[in-house]
Amino acid sequence: MSSFASLFWAVLIAASVIWYGILVFYIGIKAGKEIRELTRTLERDRDKS
Amino acid sequence: MSLSTLDWIIILVYLVGCMAAGLWMRRYVRGVHDFAVAGREMNVNLGVASLAATELGLVTIMYTAQLGYEKGFAGATIGVIMCVVMWLVGRTGFVIGPLRQAGVMTIPELFEKRFGPRVRWLAGLFVVLGGLLNMGIFLRLGGEFLVFATGLPPHWLEWVMTALLGIVLLYTAFGGMLSVLVTDYLQFLIMGLGIVLTSVIVVLHIGWDDLTRVLYDAYAAGGDKPRPHPYNPFHSSNFGWGYLAWQFVFQLAAVTTWQTQVSRVLAARDAGTAKRMYRQTSFYFVGRFLLPGLWGAAAFVYFTKQGGLPAELTSLTAMPHFLSVVLPAGIIGIVVAAMLAAEMSTDSGYMLTWATVIYNDIVTPLLRRPLSPQGQLLLTRGLVLAIAVFLLFYGLWYELPGNAWDYLAVTGNIYLASVFTLLVAGLYWPRANATGAAAALVLGAIGPVTFLLIGKRFNIAPEVAGASSFALAAIGMVAGSLLSRRSVSPAA
Repeated sequence: MSSFASLFWAVLIAASVIWYGILVFYIGIKAGKEIRELTRTLERDRDKS
Repeated sequence: MSLSTLDWIIILVYLVGCMAAGLWMRRYVRGVHDFAVAGREMNVNLGVASLAATELGLVTIMYTAQLGYEKGFAGATIGVIMCVVMWLVGRTGFVIGPLRQAGVMTIPELFEKRFGPRVRWLAGLFVVLGGLLNMGIFLRLGGEFLVFATGLPPHWLEWVMTALLGIVLLYTAFGGMLSVLVTDYLQFLIMGLGIVLTSVIVVLHIGWDDLTRVLYDAYAAGGDKPRPHPYNPFHSSNFGWGYLAWQFVFQLAAVTTWQTQVSRVLAARDAGTAKRMYRQTSFYFVGRFLLPGLWGAAAFVYFTKQGGLPAELTSLTAMPHFLSVVLPAGIIGIVVAAMLAAEMSTDSGYMLTWATVIYNDIVTPLLRRPLSPQGQLLLTRGLVLAIAVFLLFYGLWYELPGNAWDYLAVTGNIYLASVFTLLVAGLYWPRANATGAAAALVLGAIGPVTFLLIGKRFNIAPEVAGASSFALAAIGMVAGSLLSRRSVSPAA
């Protein structure tokens, strides 16, 4: 039980570290573009009103 | 260990950058709609970054590390449950789909459509009570991390807390959700980097074999104060089935009802965006519990090898002290900046959310005539300030009755149990009515409030207090709705 359980947690820890690393880059780039889009939309709305 | 000049420069650059970005967004705020839900212009990836940053605060890192210290890796099982629940909700759209389609700013606003204005007001009160009590310990735990991790004198704690709050307050009060989204994004980046770096360094420093061996040996040794099984959460020495069953229901309620989380659903472009955001964020919640839990477990192993925990440390403060010893100069600057990011994103998100609920659901229904747009903004900003003052004083004097996670789970339950019951019944049960809703709100709060007031004295288990609140709220809703004839037109 213990070796299986410790292996289970080891896999989850490794997956979490990799997932966090990937998210930082992937979401970092995508969300950065979305912020630019968001500010443009808000700027447009502000000019209209 | 004290920080090097390089560490302080990293922290300073981060703080100035964050403040500047937050204040910059102020120019786009034209009214409460922009302030509270960012004009509903948020897209999925920004939503993921913001949700992840808000839901991973320094307080999260402290209590998950404490769980890791006390219960080993099995302490992170709550994160696994949360991941499963998030994914299921994101897949099915349970509650969040119809909630977003309703086009409301807060959950109590939906209750007005379904149950009438009195239920909205009462629900707003419970939401704020549970939310503020829950948030009350954030600042203190965050301050404790920073003091122990940086080696600052302990009497600086109050000043560290005040300074932190001041910075967050400034950009949140001016820029609202727009500032929160942009600063959350920056905080998400630096936090992710800090968490990955710290986890790798901790494992390299302790060694995986040593980590798992010492954790298991400590459990196997038994003794006067036996340790829980470090890997098996179902073992009677660890959480056990009853606690985990309560956690499943609790997490289902949390991901569909917790206002700070739901505010991202309400700020999303549409229901599909909200569902995708949930699915994409789900696995993040495993690491949210497991990686700081790993640091806590490693701190236990480290101090066990040193002959035991020093008298001035507790299971809560062991992890930051451990990090201050193992992290090299330069890296600790990034990690402290990352933890500051975690604290700031959570504080700003929570202050804004509770201020919006107070404004929208408690104060506005009492006003005889609506405020001007400037008056609405001023009132919401004033509420953010009032919450900050409350946080500062509550955090300074309140003494935790048990471990930090149990406190957070039980205070969250004050509103989770009843509001979750109202939401599910309101959206999916046509017979639900205002009497049932009021009964559910009051009965659902009894268990958690009892735990907070006399839980320590009478040794009430948190899962008993928590599970009873869900059961009582459900009984209140069903009995109240079936026994009363009054019905309110379902408009939601």
